[in-house]
Amino acid sequence: MTELLDVEALRAKFLNTVFDEKQFELTAEDMSNYAIACGELATRYTDPNDPDFQAPPTMPTCIQPKKRMPKGFPKIAGLGMDAGKAVQSYKPIRPGVKLTGKTHMHDIYTKTGRSGRMVFFVNRMDIFDSDGEQVAWADTSIVIRERPKE
Amino acid sequence: MILDLHSHSIKSDDGRAKVPNYCQWIRAREIPIDGFVLTEHRQFDFESDYSALAKEFGLTILKASEVETEYGHVLVFGVTEALTQTFDFTDIHLPLAQVIEAAERHGAVPVPCHPGRKRVGMSAHLEEYGVPQGVRIVEIYNGGSRGDEDAIAQNMAAEQDYLGIGGSDAHIVSQIGKCATRFPEKITSAAELAEALRGGDFEALNFREQI
Amino acid sequence: MTIATIKDVEFGEELPVFDPDTSLENVKKFATAAHWFGPRFTDHEAARKEGLPGALVPGIMSQGFLAAMIHRWAPQANVQNVDTVFRAPVVVDEKYHITGVVTDIDEASGRVEIDLTVTNDAGETRVFGTAQVQIPTG
Repeated sequence: MTELLDVEALRAKFLNTVFDEKQFELTAEDMSNYAIACGELATRYTDPNDPDFQAPPTMPTCIQPKKRMPKGFPKIAGLGMDAGKAVQSYKPIRPGVKLTGKTHMHDIYTKTGRSGRMVFFVNRMDIFDSDGEQVAWADTSIVIRERPKE
Repeated sequence: MILDLHSHSIKSDDGRAKVPNYCQWIRAREIPIDGFVLTEHRQFDFESDYSALAKEFGLTILKASEVETEYGHVLVFGVTEALTQTFDFTDIHLPLAQVIEAAERHGAVPVPCHPGRKRVGMSAHLEEYGVPQGVRIVEIYNGGSRGDEDAIAQNMAAEQDYLGIGGSDAHIVSQIGKCATRFPEKITSAAELAEALRGGDFEALNFREQI
Repeated sequence: MTIATIKDVEFGEELPVFDPDTSLENVKKFATAAHWFGPRFTDHEAARKEGLPGALVPGIMSQGFLAAMIHRWAPQANVQNVDTVFRAPVVVDEKYHITGVVTDIDEASGRVEIDLTVTNDAGETRVFGTAQVQIPTG
């Protein structure tokens, strides 16, 4: 007997409610090393001494919420994989600035792929600076290849 | 007339291309097609009207659907409002027989796409479910195919005596027109496209090496 | 040639191909900077035990490659949005090529849209996406 997720019920219950909030800051060392490993050459990303030094624009996607899923979200059998990332940058992120990330579940949907039925969960973290101004958002799309229970 | 019969816009969950940008790209890069068909995933896009855009760029822009069955993904050409009432396009477990029967009843044409692909392609399911009744056409050139997926599709088409179409399966602008289908007559509507496919006079084209 | 202002950009222009460093050593450096410590990214054997083809380049690193490619082409570009779809694994220590083409330009605002694709040596797409980029107007 198979038992697949009821996606519509999950959407109704969990979408668009902030389930995690965390404070964090990015260090100059991590920002620079992140940029260099990605192949950046622009010194405003690689050199902490550059007067315009800032985090590489995609770095917000590496910030992980404390909780991966909302409280009460069902455990899902299957291998979770990164299906996509999106990032929107509104203003530069400087080292040592206190940031707040608020995460909500942005979308849940299914499709069939090369690997069978797949369920996609999109979590969005909205990132704000200490003035409450939004500096970025980052979407993480996780796909789980369902393993139906026998 | 040459049409790319398989493309997606931002209306699909994984599509990242805006339709005006497809048009601009086709003209700027002189992609050798006369138009394209938007086959959005698990839906039919009733709300978008691309007629002004088609006129501006001198292209044919038609709409169709890509639905999901136990045999994998299937393009449906000539979708009507009545057809969308017969089964749930969002269902990812549609019986292929139901899709074929409904399509034929409403003048539409079902075409299994990327049939050489694992899981989502028809050939992967022949052993388990047998050769389905009612399939006449499959996609034999798909711009997103990896490895020998197109060759598997072509072999299956030869063995089962299916006709073949081509489509890019574009999800971003620069993929449009990589594969396409040539028709002898001009096609101006989804109904004419379905009619031309039923007529069987067309040829799948692969432009991947050229563009 | 690098891009200085929006006037230098042409519709359909191809960005110089960028072959990213996907070596295990570099991925480990990245994982440390990103605080992503899963063995599936830094240990081929551990990744294979998970059923993967080998250690994976983190998706966020692929996304970082795409932004870096844009900055190599247009050093003063402000990458505002990068939206990536991971179609298939990008495996550590294998060769990949990143291509980009300009698919939309708004000369007045300096905004351009770029299609980005990560392919392997066989020409198979592993990652694709789009970026919205602000280029200086003058």
